[in-house]
Amino acid sequence: MTDSDEEYHDEDYEYEYSDEGGGTDDEDVSMDGSADAADAAASSPTKCMPNKKRPFVSMVDRRKNNLGDNPNAPPQLGDGFGIRMLPADELKPVMNEQIQETVEVLGVPPGAAAILLREHKWAKERLFQSFFDNPEKIQEKCGVLARCQKLGDDEEDTKAGAANRNTRANAKRRICEICMDEDCFDPDEMIAMPCGHEFCETCWYGYISNALDKGPLCVRETCPQAGCTELITEEEVCRAAPELLPKFECYQLRSFVEMYGMTRWCPGPGCGQVALACGGGAFSDIGGNAKCNVCETCFCLKCGEEPHAPITCQHLSKWQEKCKNESETANWILANTKPCPKCSSRIEKNQGCNHMTCRSCAHHFCWICMGDWSDHGANTGGYYKCNKFDPNSDANDQSDAARAKRELNRYLHYYKRFHSHAQAQDFAIKSVKATEARMILLQEQNSDTVWTDVEFLKAANRQLVECRKVLKYSYAFAYYLQDGDKKTRFEYHQEMLERFTENLSELSEKPIQDMNRAEVVNQTRVVDNFMKNILKYVEEGMED
Amino acid sequence: MGPDESPYAGGVFFLDIHFPADYPFKPPKVHFTTRIYHCNINSNGGICLDILKDQWSPALTISKVLLSICSLLTDPNPDDPLVPDIAQLLKTDRVKHDSTAREWTSKYAM
Repeated sequence: MTDSDEEYHDEDYEYEYSDEGGGTDDEDVSMDGSADAADAAASSPTKCMPNKKRPFVSMVDRRKNNLGDNPNAPPQLGDGFGIRMLPADELKPVMNEQIQETVEVLGVPPGAAAILLREHKWAKERLFQSFFDNPEKIQEKCGVLARCQKLGDDEEDTKAGAANRNTRANAKRRICEICMDEDCFDPDEMIAMPCGHEFCETCWYGYISNALDKGPLCVRETCPQAGCTELITEEEVCRAAPELLPKFECYQLRSFVEMYGMTRWCPGPGCGQVALACGGGAFSDIGGNAKCNVCETCFCLKCGEEPHAPITCQHLSKWQEKCKNESETANWILANTKPCPKCSSRIEKNQGCNHMTCRSCAHHFCWICMGDWSDHGANTGGYYKCNKFDPNSDANDQSDAARAKRELNRYLHYYKRFHSHAQAQDFAIKSVKATEARMILLQEQNSDTVWTDVEFLKAANRQLVECRKVLKYSYAFAYYLQDGDKKTRFEYHQEMLERFTENLSELSEKPIQDMNRAEVVNQTRVVDNFMKNILKYVEEGMED
Repeated sequence: MGPDESPYAGGVFFLDIHFPADYPFKPPKVHFTTRIYHCNINSNGGICLDILKDQWSPALTISKVLLSICSLLTDPNPDDPLVPDIAQLLKTDRVKHDSTAREWTSKYAM
């Protein structure tokens, strides 16, 4: 993106912002300041990406990359930034490269190297270190001792194998200890493990096909001999059941993807793509987000969930666990409808904005706090003075029951808002189609209008989806914040973002004849900038 | 037959052995049909023995399995119990445990 674009962008932002934030100008200045900083920070990393110290490939950066065509374009997650989406097959070379390197460093056969790596979660350095401390111990622990030693004295065959030959030299035909077939077998009908235990081809086939039926665990299958810990590799599978080799290798690859620190399966249903990170930073806490190039699922590379900035993966999973445990209470309270506070008609909210008008009694109220809408407004401290939980309401009662009730209320406060933004996000996603229809209508209204002139609607819609998502997770995030200045400040910013988002939602849902393009475009930008700033603010530890 | 050096000596214990279709690649299902007081054998006759579960190997034979069960009778494993109450008693009061085991043996297995 060019510098002139950048300036234009900022001017718009400032203009619109001061127009908007009545009564809060002091703080606005500070946010404007950080907005500039954000822009500067965000545009420079695009030029020096690979050396970037900051591990977190933020959404800010990612979005900036695409601003060249359309300032309101959605983030193209997964482009650049060291995250590539690949079909699983293409990871084989990556895996083989790791194995090859280990073969060279440790001087062990490839099959053993693969097992050693797997048992160390593909952390090469850790493996090398413990291997050089005590090679035999590691080899034995991982079940590759005989395989590694076999390489050493390949010429004389394995010790165990030699012993085998001695003891059974007389009996030319050998007994398979699995089927105990009385006819015995010729030596070439037997397949031996490096540990010297040998069995007939038929039994080997049965053993391997049974092992494969166990699923992913088959890669840790040991020698059929009782008590022998030597692991089976593709070598034995190839000899005993060549037609099952692809399946075995598939499980090997799967295990690699799941354990190798730089990869994650695309969580999209039935999708076989794999996200591969090229730098460790993408796996930091609110780090890399990937977008699948096949099924278009966006996900966090670290935890596989939907991208969830500003909350960390760890807190998100705690939050989800909590929501699951308390969902019955919460669901009871959060039935899909709410009664109108005046006439008690049940109302289902199916539009994005929180300014509700009851169809039966024409009462105006706020969907979040169910209070009179007339209490909400710039003159009374903002339209969305609804995002802060006030623990003082009954803070004096110290009994356990009261404390439990307060804790539940505190949770419900955040959960309600989390849930309400989640629904609004779903709605915004669903309304993409409707938006396209509106775009066509809008274009037809005026013969001079071209498609690019109405694209702002789509951009606004996308922006809404993004904002709803960030807002949603911001409530889960706030739930885990300690009370204090930081939290107050965060909630202030959150409130602003919420207000801008509602505003944008209202503007972009206006009837077509009332649609004001400049207004929507401006608001989209303001919201976008504000959202990025909040994420950046959190990312930088919420210091001033 | 209960091993001589165990409280099960003199008892005759019957076992039911079921071979799955993919034996020997899957372990046989073995359980006691005679009641026995043992911390690794429950009231249904189920046996908690590693080689009948994940440590099974197709190279094992029924005679080896039976030998293992015999040694389980001599040396119960209270650290991996199927019946925690019995294991607890075995750890705290071996004498009482053994006398109950003998009592059950004469009651059910003779």
